Amino acid sequence: MSAIISLAIFAVAFFFIATEKVNKVKVVLIAAGAMLVLGLAPGADVFYSEHEGIDWNVIFLLLGMMIIVGIIKQTGVFDYLAIWAAKKSKGRPYRLMVMLMIITAVASPFLDNVTTIMLVAPVTIVVCERLDVPAQPYLIAEVLASNIGGAATLIGDPPNIIIGSRAGLTFNDFLIHMTPIVVVVFVAFVLLTRVLFRKSFRYNPDRVAEVMALQEKRAITDPALLVRCMVVLALVIVGFGLHSVVHVEPSIVALVGAGVMILVSRVEVSESLSEVEWPTLVFFVGLFVMVAGLVHTGVISTVGDWAVNAVGDNFFGAATSLLFGSAVLGAFFDNIPYAATMAPIVEGLVAQAPDPVTGQALWWSFALGADFGGNGTAVAASANVVAIGIAARAGHRISFWQFTKYGILVTILSSVMAWVYVYLRYFM
Amino acid sequence: MQARDIAVQLPTVTVHDPVAKAVRVMAMGGLPGLIVVDDKSRPRMVLPGTQVLRMAVPGAFQEDPALARTIDEAHADLFWQALGGLTVGDCLPRQQVAPVTVKLEATLLEVAALMARLRSPLVAVVDRTGELAGAITLGRLLTSLAMPDLDD
Repeated sequence: MSAIISLAIFAVAFFFIATEKVNKVKVVLIAAGAMLVLGLAPGADVFYSEHEGIDWNVIFLLLGMMIIVGIIKQTGVFDYLAIWAAKKSKGRPYRLMVMLMIITAVASPFLDNVTTIMLVAPVTIVVCERLDVPAQPYLIAEVLASNIGGAATLIGDPPNIIIGSRAGLTFNDFLIHMTPIVVVVFVAFVLLTRVLFRKSFRYNPDRVAEVMALQEKRAITDPALLVRCMVVLALVIVGFGLHSVVHVEPSIVALVGAGVMILVSRVEVSESLSEVEWPTLVFFVGLFVMVAGLVHTGVISTVGDWAVNAVGDNFFGAATSLLFGSAVLGAFFDNIPYAATMAPIVEGLVAQAPDPVTGQALWWSFALGADFGGNGTAVAASANVVAIGIAARAGHRISFWQFTKYGILVTILSSVMAWVYVYLRYFM
Repeated sequence: MQARDIAVQLPTVTVHDPVAKAVRVMAMGGLPGLIVVDDKSRPRMVLPGTQVLRMAVPGAFQEDPALARTIDEAHADLFWQALGGLTVGDCLPRQQVAPVTVKLEATLLEVAALMARLRSPLVAVVDRTGELAGAITLGRLLTSLAMPDLDD
């Protein structure tokens, strides 16, 4: 009976999260509260069990990175880079798009996708308005590039953080297994944009002077601050990479990095904390409590047993289902709650794998599907929604279908390439 | 003295008015802020002058000071042209905030305390039905207070 109640609470909450009829933080808090009040998720486990409660590693990793990114934002480096790229492109549309995509894709593995888009989209709009070209294709290309690039590392995309923590996968594991295919997919995507957006490319040579008038050097008022921030960010990334040597959790590295960043930047503590997206952190906490309810009432183990029976010894079939299933579901639902719910089920499947390589292949299939699925529709990932919002406020409306028609194509391309990669690398 | 005694009639705008009109009304009238009313003449929001300016400055420049610095002088002088056809309603905060209002019979202490607490140099005065009856500006309030003369 308790399993049915917890499943019902979860299903109703998921419906409201997916349809965005109610603020999603409210939804998870009410659902998590219901799970706790009804005794479906024991309070002690919720707070203190690493795998059957709130995953504090995820929460504090996000918190630390939000503080770090919040300070980097103030350096003006993204405005500088985007305007520099626009000037270098001399107003040539495809060249400009490629440079903006590269900036976005290189930043998003280290900063979260939403922040990357919030930094790059406004300056992109300014550049497009100066060139008198439609901003929508450039913004869509940036979002797609950001979602692809974010898949490369442990910290680039929230599903990766959830998966890495649940599976015990390190930053280096992601670099070794995810980055190669992400690079290949990104290159293919860059080539594809030449065709995808060909009708939107318009070259206005008489408007180039307008772009050249932008003063990118004025974006960076404190070069010393920029250098200090970049050094700290580099040290944090090295810290992630040294996990197997020093055995310090990524969340600790991020928190220490955040502290050092506050110290060296001399930014007020209250100011740096105001950059933290507290609603997002609360959303994650509520989500983990909801999933804890499913775990404690046996729903997850029942689904896991069913999945194990369905898979049998066909683990390539399981990897295929995970990759394409996650891409399809990730395209229609927020991939964060999806990853949080599926992670314990995938963990059950991995436990049945004949060897560690096959087990890891399932995790990578899951991560690739969930990450690339974020490009599927206009609502599949937070970065998509944020970009569309920024565009609308600036008078460059992007409709659901305008985004989705490109997103679906890119999701299909990237998922198929990822599937071939998984087969060649782990099952051939 | 009560709010009714010092309230004055000030021009207002509706959510359907263009932002450009709102800025012009405030500038021409030398007002410290603006009262936005709904179709039934009830105050929907009372905006201090800086918040009216907030409507006129594109959000991207408010959120990213570095981006604002990159704009050259010639274009910077024309930032308000980016408003286009935006209306006051388009630019109001999504979260509903109760308008800064007092009743006709409110004392000057109540008015002053409200202005100080909400950092609003403008207060809408409403009648019993909630309709706008007038407005009190910070200047009007200060000149109405029985302040001791500095020379005394």
